[in-house]
Amino acid sequence: MADLLHLDSMELDALRETANIGAGHAATALSQMTGDTIMITVPTITIAALEDVPSRIRPEEEPIVAVLMQMMGDLTGRTLLVFPHPTAVRLAQLMLRRPTVANGPFGELEQSAIKEAGNILSGAYINALSEFMGLMLLPSPPSLAIDMSTAVLNTAYLQFGTERDMVVAVETQFYLLGEGEELRGFFLLLPDAASLQVILRAVKVL
Amino acid sequence: MRVADAAVGQGDVMLSTLGLGSCIAIALYDSRAHVVGLAHILLPSEALARDRENRAKFAATAVPLLLERMRAMGARDASIVAKLAGGASMFASLLTQGGPAIGERNLIATRIALASHGIRVTGEDVGGGHGRSVYLHGADGRFEVKSMGKGCVVL
Repeated sequence: MADLLHLDSMELDALRETANIGAGHAATALSQMTGDTIMITVPTITIAALEDVPSRIRPEEEPIVAVLMQMMGDLTGRTLLVFPHPTAVRLAQLMLRRPTVANGPFGELEQSAIKEAGNILSGAYINALSEFMGLMLLPSPPSLAIDMSTAVLNTAYLQFGTERDMVVAVETQFYLLGEGEELRGFFLLLPDAASLQVILRAVKVL
Repeated sequence: MRVADAAVGQGDVMLSTLGLGSCIAIALYDSRAHVVGLAHILLPSEALARDRENRAKFAATAVPLLLERMRAMGARDASIVAKLAGGASMFASLLTQGGPAIGERNLIATRIALASHGIRVTGEDVGGGHGRSVYLHGADGRFEVKSMGKGCVVL
């Protein structure tokens, strides 16, 4: 655990590649769901004290929609799927095949649709990781939060683990290439510190 | 002010920290000296952390830190009161491991830390499932708590 902060470049690459496989499957699922082309970025890895994690969404009070799922089984941690509010609105419309209230609060049906989208995407991500690493990973039911970005993200980082102030985050951003719309979101894999070693062992770089 | 940060000020100042989830904003005010102090704590105590250097990060250490810095500006413990905001559970989690959620634990630890220094809590906007942003005014100790879709509460 002492070397948690100092992964070498090979270990970082392995982690990035693992995340990329998960994100690729999630993007395929999203693409099939929406009919849009989805672009994903190369994953970035953040290992830092919580207060030093740069905020991903500015300003801090920007409303976001996030779906949290816990991973259990051979490794533990969380996945967090984050959409800026306009993207979540669009996603709900696509899922429900009907227009929703553009900027007002989400109704129960919209919330349920977004949660289900999160369930499908995170499930695809976790299943791909499970297959690739040969580990048993069990996702929990999804949990939804719609609030200020900083409040949601910091709480998700902090939720579990023994060294709660340390954040291990593997992030993949994705973009929907629709009809000139700028729709985006990101996917965070948040393994517990101990599970980081399990991942690296599974992909045989340790 | 950022997460795990503390600040003090006197007179016509405004201290603010944005986007509290399970974190807690501890606002202290000395009505005699018009000295204010604000801390944005992350965890109940340093036992849960790897990096224990930053006293502003924990409820148990942030309270004495604020008091020390406010005393240096002429505040006296006897005339200091506290107001609290935050300590929410952002995700209605089905699986809370090991007892109360972290927001709740932060709140308990904060109240204990204040009580052990004899500081009275005169206002709270805590718990629930929503985030908060806070603004503390040095002139009159006014503590504004804003939430998304819930407007502004003045404590």
